[in-house]
Amino acid sequence: MFWSVIAANRRKTVLLIVLMGLLLVLSGGMIGMAFTDVYHPLAGLIGAALAGAVWIAMLLMSLFASDTILLGLSRAHEIDQRIYPQLFNVVEEMVIAGSLPAMPRIFVVDDPAPNAFAMGKSPEKSCICVTAGLLAMCTRDELQGVVAHEISHILNRDVLYMTVAATMLGSILLLSDVFARSFRYSSTVRLASRSRRAGGRAAGPLLIVSLVLAVIGPILARVLYFSISRRREYLADATSARLTRYPEGLASALQKIGESTDTLTSAPSATAPFYIVNPYRRHLDNSAFATHPPLKERIRILRAMSRGAGYLDYFRAYVEVTHRRKKLLPASELRGEGRVEIREGGQASDPVQPARSESARRSGDIIRALNGFAFITCSCGLKIKLPPEYREGRFVCPRCKRAHPVNRPDGKTVGSVLSASAVMSRQASAGGKEPRNRGGREGRDEPVTREVRYLPGTWQKITCTGCGHAYEVSPRFRARRLTCSGCGATIRLTPVHEPDDRSSGVPA
Amino acid sequence: MSAGTVVFIILAGAVLAVLLYLVVTYNALVALKNQIKNAWSQIEVQLKRRHDLIPNLVEVAKGYMAHERQTLENVTRARAQASGAKTVPDISRAETALSGALGQFLAVVENYPDLKANQNFLALQEELTSTENRIAFSRQAYNDQVLFMNNKVEMFPSNIVAGMFHFRKGQFFELEEQSERTAPRVSFG
Repeated sequence: MFWSVIAANRRKTVLLIVLMGLLLVLSGGMIGMAFTDVYHPLAGLIGAALAGAVWIAMLLMSLFASDTILLGLSRAHEIDQRIYPQLFNVVEEMVIAGSLPAMPRIFVVDDPAPNAFAMGKSPEKSCICVTAGLLAMCTRDELQGVVAHEISHILNRDVLYMTVAATMLGSILLLSDVFARSFRYSSTVRLASRSRRAGGRAAGPLLIVSLVLAVIGPILARVLYFSISRRREYLADATSARLTRYPEGLASALQKIGESTDTLTSAPSATAPFYIVNPYRRHLDNSAFATHPPLKERIRILRAMSRGAGYLDYFRAYVEVTHRRKKLLPASELRGEGRVEIREGGQASDPVQPARSESARRSGDIIRALNGFAFITCSCGLKIKLPPEYREGRFVCPRCKRAHPVNRPDGKTVGSVLSASAVMSRQASAGGKEPRNRGGREGRDEPVTREVRYLPGTWQKITCTGCGHAYEVSPRFRARRLTCSGCGATIRLTPVHEPDDRSSGVPA
Repeated sequence: MSAGTVVFIILAGAVLAVLLYLVVTYNALVALKNQIKNAWSQIEVQLKRRHDLIPNLVEVAKGYMAHERQTLENVTRARAQASGAKTVPDISRAETALSGALGQFLAVVENYPDLKANQNFLALQEELTSTENRIAFSRQAYNDQVLFMNNKVEMFPSNIVAGMFHFRKGQFFELEEQSERTAPRVSFG
């Protein structure tokens, strides 16, 4: 965290509030005068007072309710550790790395476009939001890079500034909209009355001024608001690299995000600067309206950090790639900054990257779990997902006609179902399907284990030594264990190779 | 205004400035010391978390890894030693040994596809990865604070204040370098 950045953010927040307030009151006064069609100071005052009231309301809203509103606008669902342990863990790791005073709330947006944002007015009360698309395509390392980027926005108080700016911008846009409507209305009134009274003449020049203000104001506000967020993005990238000690994680996440063709449908335009990459990036990439530096440049800077993961390395890479002289930070901030080693990539629990379709299915399941779907894994291998509207107490598997009781998820089961689905699909892709226990309960204790030898690669008849239940096993059966559906015992299968079969093939 | 008054005002201003610097630096040092303490307790929390995780891990793995008794025992023994350690160098050493044992264990797990597919084990493995990361990150945060503190204690002029009030340099918590040395070597003979 950088004190100069934090101080600058605080200063700018106050400045922005004051400036936007002035602009708002001024244009409110203009609108008031234009609306009443008479040059009268009282009308202007009333307009200004109204605009001031709007401003105060907006300010209060931006400080106390903005996260609720913006999250609501993006249709985000809050998740906890049980629903998606990995995301939760990654966030908590970054909270530790950045010494954040409190754990942020974590949200998932049901949107296939990969993106993420953070918000909140202080590090104590913050939220991190990622889309289902991001979860679907990122490895653990990449997710960590993205989350670290968001955490550093929180650390540097970028989110406070952004939240205030977004609400202020929203209020200006609202006001200019009101003006546009009122102008249309009042001008028709004026046309009708002009022949009778000459009162409208005095308002002429004023009208032009207020019109200009109402047109320029929002544009100005927007340029101001969008242009300031670019430096923050570089700094957040630098902090992400330093927190994770692994710049490649964020770089490859950004690359994947850039290659994705999905665009975010759930983002209102005022929230654009919150995201890790601009959700509307296709229209504006290098213009004054760009909220983010070009993605390619960000990736190239991160990949140019060959010597270390510290700030100094990032800034060196930044100069190398962009050829810009202007420093991202004053040198005094980096006094005593030591050498920061890059760690090795690849994290143990990162399974072999699953197929795209499968990880998409998994993140879809998370969203379904959040929406109250019930999950049943049938013994025939079919995974049944029941919407909350299904009210029956039981459900018959459409493939094998087994009846299942429907238990509505309470979070705990959801988490285990999700991880189970990952295991199941991995087994399925490995070629062997393990018959599953019907109730799922008995299997955990594994009361009896029986050893049965069999010859793999042929049709086999296996008999459970406990209850005499017989199974036909196909040549493609590869599993080593099997749960007897007759007595619930675990049958351990020991493959045997017939010795004479082998030796006869080998020439003496 | 006589020359004496001017001299007096300048002197008083200088004394005031020095006093102000003293107060600010002292407070910064105290804050740093507390931050270090806080960061260290974070490390302890994470180490505890790792210790709590290991019995579960061994329990799940036991059923599958009957032939790897030695590996599992190593992990359990290293854990017992680590939870008994008290001083910073002792903890460093014991945790390094534990990291080594765990690394060896995870390398052996590669030979047991059934275990790797077990859903309890998968969940535990994510927890273990996360815990290892947390330890690394809390260590990283702690060492950053210690570095900052040491710079303050050694650099001029804050070293004068630190010397006056007996602020001492912090101790780094080293783990990774040694665990890299004891990392399991896998040979394909």
